[in-house]
Amino acid sequence: MNFVLIFLITIFSLSLFFYGRSKTKSISIEKNIKLNALPKFYGYYLVLWCSIPSLVFLLIWTLFEPVIIKSIIIETAANQGAIFNDKNEANLIYEKIKAIYAGTYFGDIDTILKESALSYAKFINLFTNSKIVLIFGIVIASVIYSLKKIKNNNKARDDVEVILKGLLFASSLIAILTTLGIIFSLLFESIKFFSVINIFDYLFGTNWSPQRAFVRDASAITAEEYEELKDAFGFIPLIAGTSFIAFIAMLVAVPVGLFSGIYMAEYASLKVRRISKPIIEILAGIPTVVYGFFAALTVGPFFRQIGENLGLTVSSESALAAGLIMGIMIIPYVSSLSDDVINSVPQSLRDGSYAVGATKSETIKKVVIPAALPGIIGSVLLAVSRAIGETMIVVMAAGLAANLTINPLESTTTITTQIVMILVGDQEFDSPKTQSAFALGLTLFIATLVLNYIAQRAVKKYREKYD
Amino acid sequence: MELMNEIKIKSKNLNVYYGEKQALFDVNLDLNEKEVTALIGPSGCGKSTFIRCINRMNDVIDICKVSGNIEIDGVEINDKNLDVVSLRERVGMVFQKPNPFPKSIYDNISYGPKIHGKGETKSELDEIVENSLKKAALWEEVKDRLDEPGTGLSGGQQQRLCIARAISVNPEVILMDEPCSALDPIATAKIEELIDELKKTYTIVIVTHSMAQAVRVSQKTGFFHLGKLIEVGKTEKIFKNPDNKMTQDYITGRFG
Repeated sequence: MNFVLIFLITIFSLSLFFYGRSKTKSISIEKNIKLNALPKFYGYYLVLWCSIPSLVFLLIWTLFEPVIIKSIIIETAANQGAIFNDKNEANLIYEKIKAIYAGTYFGDIDTILKESALSYAKFINLFTNSKIVLIFGIVIASVIYSLKKIKNNNKARDDVEVILKGLLFASSLIAILTTLGIIFSLLFESIKFFSVINIFDYLFGTNWSPQRAFVRDASAITAEEYEELKDAFGFIPLIAGTSFIAFIAMLVAVPVGLFSGIYMAEYASLKVRRISKPIIEILAGIPTVVYGFFAALTVGPFFRQIGENLGLTVSSESALAAGLIMGIMIIPYVSSLSDDVINSVPQSLRDGSYAVGATKSETIKKVVIPAALPGIIGSVLLAVSRAIGETMIVVMAAGLAANLTINPLESTTTITTQIVMILVGDQEFDSPKTQSAFALGLTLFIATLVLNYIAQRAVKKYREKYD
Repeated sequence: MELMNEIKIKSKNLNVYYGEKQALFDVNLDLNEKEVTALIGPSGCGKSTFIRCINRMNDVIDICKVSGNIEIDGVEINDKNLDVVSLRERVGMVFQKPNPFPKSIYDNISYGPKIHGKGETKSELDEIVENSLKKAALWEEVKDRLDEPGTGLSGGQQQRLCIARAISVNPEVILMDEPCSALDPIATAKIEELIDELKKTYTIVIVTHSMAQAVRVSQKTGFFHLGKLIEVGKTEKIFKNPDNKMTQDYITGRFG
């Protein structure tokens, strides 16, 4: 239904474009007046006025219709004698009613359900009909309004500007509101978690085993139970594992990425650059899950084999394998960002250095790199925040046990892995175990935010100096 | 007639190509020792390209090809086996836009000597820095703030810092590529004064767009047009009584 409506509105609006254009042309000829805008702007004006209000109305209606119908139906069902003790049972009955209406319900249908389904059908019809009527009303009203405007030779060009500006503003507003929504939902769920688990027990605890809190209602935890619980949510092993793997990744990514960036920016001929830069950037386009199984199936066992030959115990899921592959994944970030900052070091500085007799590598080491350093630090920090936020590789290659270790051959775990583990499968949403995922998410979010902020400040400071 | 100084740099049939485009055509030009030679001519005429041949700065540009000969003290420098590092130690350069390194004033000057292994001890280095800055007439202005960044100086000071940087490795020749084009008249006057002083020790080649500057600072002037050296001679003669009609037109401002 909605698609038909959207289609009709679109077709009608588009045809209005031609109407508006020719209409204003003929007005200007008939009355021998100069139009305030080119005829096509009157066309745009009509199109925008006809489509935007009705489409926005349709969107809002579609969002709220199910909610309203649901509350009405549940109420009528209750009036007819349906018994439900809580929200879940009410939902269940509503789903049954919907299934009966759709003809996909194969259980017994009692009178209450039957009556409710009939009234559901009635309301669906009513809502659909009134939606159509209202939309036509809106379209007609806005077309009449805008036609009147263009007949009065309004400043259509300026008006179109205003409408477009509003449209763009609304789009950015959606992006901002979504971000805020995510932050607040993280925040509220985390607050719920921290109302059960003391924030200091979380931040400074050294043991992470959230399974112990499985299926336990957060609101009903006694003091004794808490004593048992409080050391199940220690954040230290996770942040240690995360930083450790990120550190190994940076050990790989920073030297390789930086050196390849220097090569690309300073040494590579145009031809080499044209070929190799896209290839390096392909590395950034490989889905992380591919890196993940590469780490888990190839690199991990490889390290274990080498370890066995050397007489070392290497777990097949090791921090080393995960960190190494993550480092490879991050190389293109470091290399292409440092390539950019090195490229933006002015040639005149290099010339100055060559002119006193410095060689290329001396110039790079003593002039170019120091000049580009803030930007390079920025790119490394961005890579770090990418590393600590990376999930798939560590889920597949780093392991699940929260070991507090600095042995790269043992398995360890990260914040992101634990979030995945906690939220996979069926969940009790009021158990501290589930809520701890939000607390982890919030912590991770704050950590990456701070890193990104510092990185961007560093890059910006660098830009100011040379622009 | 006043005796000319000895010839320091000699170019013979110098041709330069940027890719397909030829930038210099058979330039034959002799530059005298301890004298200022000014190169004038409209933009894109090849004057900068010419001086960049003298310290082989054109090597930096991939597509640039140089053929022909340039001799300094009779030694061919346009030779693949020549050590560019020691050439540039002997031939310093100052650029159009002041380009101090984003380092302290001290480090800007000590950069060159350190690279060439001059000034092994701190006190030797201090001395080089002080002497270079004194020769560039900047010492009095910056002696109390040698550890401040060179980029924090004014434009004219920055350019004198760059001159000091060029002097620091004790070259024989200093090339100046429009050294005053980014400076105000007062800073320009200071630099010109400095050039006058420096010519006692160094052979100087200066590219300039200002005729007045060429008259003020140089003893010899070469006029370039479309990659060709049209006329060269004593500055006085070039500006008072040029042989070539084109030179005449250019210096009187009829084109360029």
